[in-house]
Amino acid sequence: MGDRKQARDAEFQSFMVGRWPRLMRTAFLLTGEQHAAEDLVQSTLERVFVAWRRVGSADDPEAYVRRVMINAHARRHRRRLKEFLAPKDDSGLVREVADTGDRIAQADDRSALLTALARLPVRQREAVVLRYWEDLTETQTAEAMGCSVGTVKSNAAKGIAKLRAVPGLADMVTHGGRK
Amino acid sequence: MSAQENHDMTQTDIALLLADAADEAEIGMAPVQAVIRGGRRRRARRWALAAVTTLVVAGSTGVLAVTGLPDGGHADRRTDVAVRPVPAEARHVYQPESTDLARGTYQGKEWRVSVDVWGAPRTEAEANRQFDAMAELGVKPADVRRPADLIGKVSYFASRGWGENRPQQVMFDTVEKFEQYSGTDLQAVATRLGYGGESSGRLVIGMVSKSARQVTCHWKDGTTALAEPTEGFSAQDTGSAIRTVDGFKGGNWFVCTAPAGTSYGSAEVTK
Repeated sequence: MGDRKQARDAEFQSFMVGRWPRLMRTAFLLTGEQHAAEDLVQSTLERVFVAWRRVGSADDPEAYVRRVMINAHARRHRRRLKEFLAPKDDSGLVREVADTGDRIAQADDRSALLTALARLPVRQREAVVLRYWEDLTETQTAEAMGCSVGTVKSNAAKGIAKLRAVPGLADMVTHGGRK
Repeated sequence: MSAQENHDMTQTDIALLLADAADEAEIGMAPVQAVIRGGRRRRARRWALAAVTTLVVAGSTGVLAVTGLPDGGHADRRTDVAVRPVPAEARHVYQPESTDLARGTYQGKEWRVSVDVWGAPRTEAEANRQFDAMAELGVKPADVRRPADLIGKVSYFASRGWGENRPQQVMFDTVEKFEQYSGTDLQAVATRLGYGGESSGRLVIGMVSKSARQVTCHWKDGTTALAEPTEGFSAQDTGSAIRTVDGFKGGNWFVCTAPAGTSYGSAEVTK
């Protein structure tokens, strides 16, 4: 019995170490802030650990992890605890204001994208991140978000349209201001 | 180039931008042991909660059974006792319970943080009146589009104010049940003391478990502030405290304030 438990813990550890970097990057795009991303991934993996006996033997543990993370993110958003990244100028919450100097153009690019992402409604942000960063299919994205494929399509399209409308981002795309 | 090709290219560009922005995340070592410890705590909490729920249900059943026994089981009489209505006013449906968390002075004007907790309306009429009362106070509940969305839900608002400016709601939610904070659970948000950007991140407001005895707020310059359980207000107040909020059953609230020139780094329960 104890051996089986140890084996399960070892299996979870190996899963977690392997997935940590990718989950951190996804969470960073969802939350726009380092500490909030760590917090989101850590609490997601704690939940996954609790259910690991069931999850570890499932066909697609990744899908379960994504679903847990998106749920946790949506829950936090509902509570209006926006991980210190304010969506509106007048909210008074802390946010990093991007420098406008062109010597650190790449950092500005990233900051502009993160700010633009943070301003998207949460479901649009999730759809954009899952479709275009995680590179999931519409069906996989719908599973992760717990909604229909149609809802994913509409949220992703609206999110992308809003990102395209951000002047700074359009310039970045036009001038290739990234790696 | 067709419109479709252009469309795809733009989406590819956005995918590249996302990948580039994602690189900004500092990955670090996976905190395996911390996650496993946290997972075990969650599992234990879940079991403890299940045990308590069972106890409450069993207890209620026992009480009903006993009250039914002496005179041969007059169910109607028992029901009369069990569902005596509590007026909406006593449940704080139309006027919230309000608790001051912290206050101080910034640039010659008083700043203050308070938490208002509104009881759950039970009917549409109660919800309508609560909706109007909230509007009069200038607060807007989370995810509530029409008054009926408030039925069966408690609402809370942590607001900050400065001088004569209208208070601003900072942390708020409308929920069927309070989320229970336990152990070292903590949720916090950093905001401003005044209304200009220069005091950004100097005021931290958050929730912790009822058992938390100390919260340490770390500022970006390496200094810290300690919030500890406090009652009342005095001239010696530092602006940092843990307080019980009337009507808020999920945990206690805390506030930390940073000295001028620095801002929020992180916060943790340290006792």
